[in-house]
Amino acid sequence: MNRRRLLQGLSFSMLAAKLSGTSSLYGQAAEPQPQPARTFSPNDRIQVGFIGPGSRGQELIRQLLRTPGVEIAAQCDVYEPRFAEVNELVGKNVPAHKDYRELLDRKDLDVIYIATPPVFHASYSIAAMKGGRPVYCEKTIGFTPEDCTNVVEAARKTGQIFQVGHQMRYASWIVESVNRVRKGDIGEPTHVYGYWHRSDNWRREVPNPSLEHLMNWRLYRESSGGLLEELGSHHIDIANWVFGEQPQTLLGTSSIAVYHDGRTVGDNVQAVLGYSKGRRMFFSSLTDNGLMADQVWVYGTEGSLQITLADATFYKRTSKMITEASHSDVVQKGVETGASYNADSAMPYRGPGHRVNMKRDEDPTLTACKSFMECVRNKQQPFANVDVGFRSAIACSVGRQAMYEGREAKIPQLTA
Amino acid sequence: MIGATLNTVTQLYCTTHPAMGTEYSLYLYAPSREQAAAIAKPVFEEVDCVDALLSNYRPDSELSRINREAFHHEVTTDPEVFRFLATCLAWSERSQGAFDISVGKLMKVWKFFGASGALPSPEEIAAAREHVGWKKIRLDPEQRTVRFLTAEIELDPGGIGKGYAVDRSVKALRAKGVSAALLSAGSSTIYAMGSPPGEAGWKVRVPSPHPGGGTISTVVLRDTSLSTANLSEKNFVHEGQFYGAIMNPGTLQPVRGMLQVTVISNSATDSDALSNALFVSGPEDQAALLGEQDCALVIREQIRESETQAAPKYEAIRWPSEVAQRHLTELPTTKEKVKL
Ligand SMILES: NC(=O)c1ccc[n+]([C@@H]2O[C@H](COP(=O)([O-])OP(=O)(O)OC[C@H]3O[C@@H](n4cnc5c(N)ncnc54)[C@H](O)[C@@H]3O)[C@@H](O)[C@H]2O)c1
Repeated sequence: MNRRRLLQGLSFSMLAAKLSGTSSLYGQAAEPQPQPARTFSPNDRIQVGFIGPGSRGQELIRQLLRTPGVEIAAQCDVYEPRFAEVNELVGKNVPAHKDYRELLDRKDLDVIYIATPPVFHASYSIAAMKGGRPVYCEKTIGFTPEDCTNVVEAARKTGQIFQVGHQMRYASWIVESVNRVRKGDIGEPTHVYGYWHRSDNWRREVPNPSLEHLMNWRLYRESSGGLLEELGSHHIDIANWVFGEQPQTLLGTSSIAVYHDGRTVGDNVQAVLGYSKGRRMFFSSLTDNGLMADQVWVYGTEGSLQITLADATFYKRTSKMITEASHSDVVQKGVETGASYNADSAMPYRGPGHRVNMKRDEDPTLTACKSFMECVRNKQQPFANVDVGFRSAIACSVGRQAMYEGREAKIPQLTA
Repeated sequence: MIGATLNTVTQLYCTTHPAMGTEYSLYLYAPSREQAAAIAKPVFEEVDCVDALLSNYRPDSELSRINREAFHHEVTTDPEVFRFLATCLAWSERSQGAFDISVGKLMKVWKFFGASGALPSPEEIAAAREHVGWKKIRLDPEQRTVRFLTAEIELDPGGIGKGYAVDRSVKALRAKGVSAALLSAGSSTIYAMGSPPGEAGWKVRVPSPHPGGGTISTVVLRDTSLSTANLSEKNFVHEGQFYGAIMNPGTLQPVRGMLQVTVISNSATDSDALSNALFVSGPEDQAALLGEQDCALVIREQIRESETQAAPKYEAIRWPSEVAQRHLTELPTTKEKVKL
């Protein structure tokens, strides 16, 4: 029985046990010994091998070009026109490969970046880690539940540095706000509501119809978890961070309301994720919206927090007013009747907002890349490590299937 | 392939997109509204991409990051931004400092940043001197780093950024096989690609610098760009003196005595930079600044000493079209302008 089969046959509780490292399933297969990661001196330039330099990938490359001491040393893509785009961006010819294995076989690479569509994330990350390279992989870390588990397992076994593309964890204003929430600034956080209401059809223009699935992989079930995975995963990650745990359940629905254009994933989604102690996360995404696309609200027993892609604002309840009443005025004169509307009372519990002061304003993706390189040089695990990647990916992966089947998903837990 | 040469029935569409504090307009021929929108989308994405690189209003732009950090340490930047900065410095050198993107601090002192200007105190102006000057910007091509030699240097891409965005967008249009289009960055920088069906090119009207003063010249452009610098955007009047938002980095004051400069040049980056450089530099330096193929129409204020004297004065350098003197002579003098 090969390893893949074996894993497919596992129940989720077995998976969890396996992840905890107590399972006897480990250590049977004769696998190549992980190579030790390279040690860097301060002047060494870190050589990056880049797999999947599409739209997100080129954004990452741009940020890597702004990261000191980094070289884009090799690229891999199945779509050849990308090579010229990368060369233009990098300002020189970057050795190019059409097969990721060729890239991984190169001896001159120190770290691997992966920004292919999600179906390839797990196998490419695992191969890279087994080849002795730290990995920065875009979210979500895996497409199937088994993928997610395998990536965690490989990271633990090889001890490799692994960072997931949840760059919101590196946004100064989000870090500051979540830290404040975790310290109790809005009491006990009980709900996280994420809205990501885009205003386009989510379609890429395709130069020729044979490229439809390669370029519009987001629109088809076999290659995409749809809006929940592509957008929701970022918000689920924020909820996980706020609550300090991963979700246990997901109940969701998705449909096509506008774009009956052959896509098989929904153009809108609503999902409720259950956390311990009755805490909930709600995620909504749809394709039409005239205002701000992306915002997360955190509701606590003593206030709320609004996070957007640019800033964060705390709202506290205005304290309830208690004053002494005069017996002569109220009881003897009596109370007066009249009109009740008072504009100031329309939102009785929302005081004025207090914007979070940002310490740094740099693009979170740049911060994420710089931080990754620091981890590589100092041999540390990143903040957005493999466990973080697992906790959002598993919810999307298991949740997506349950949504198709119209049932509540039980989400397998990651154990230490 | 969508272009005027095909036999398909095409219609002229205009799509607009807000960016960089203005509105970009793209005129092109397409068989349908949807197709026009599909062509425009990636073009405006280029504009947004340049905005994300260069905006000094967005704290997360690469330029803002450089502004924050380059005095404290060498900032590694990407090749595109590095090339852009090198181009800016080349224009500073060529114009002997008339063009200078380091005027950010000065723009703030004169309250032209996010506002329409106000007179600073002489002390504030004097204090700005240290924070302005292109020679205080060091680029290291080997390391691809930027460094400021004094504190509080602030780069302001206002005199070149729109031109750069237009050039990038034109490249995207060409890559899409578009053969005829006109792209305008809020009318201050325009690129004319190809020509409308049956026409020699795209007509662009240069207005009188006096609002409501009509057209002083009409040029027909094809595969070239045009930029205009004037003071109509942000300005204020103090004690009868008119102040506009184009800075003379040498005097640390807004430029005086100049009304409008329009430049035609093959690259939009160049026409944008050149129109601003000419606006700042003295008349004797102007002709030398132009490249061999460039054309300029420079309109200078002239103090009227008698009613018979023509005012203002214009100078046309290789300008390809007639200039309607009549509209210029009807211009009010500085003093009258206060009433505008
Ligand atoms: N962190 C974020 O904010 C963020 C934002 C956007 C996208 N993403 C993620 O980035 C990934 C890529 O998204 P995108 O929008 O750039 O998609 P894309 O389609 O633009 O780019 C993917 C690239 O991978 C290439 N590719 C496909 N299969 C390949 C293979 N087997 N080997 C090598 N290359 C292959 C494609 O040709 C393409 O160039 C996705 O996982 C997405 O979820 C993350």
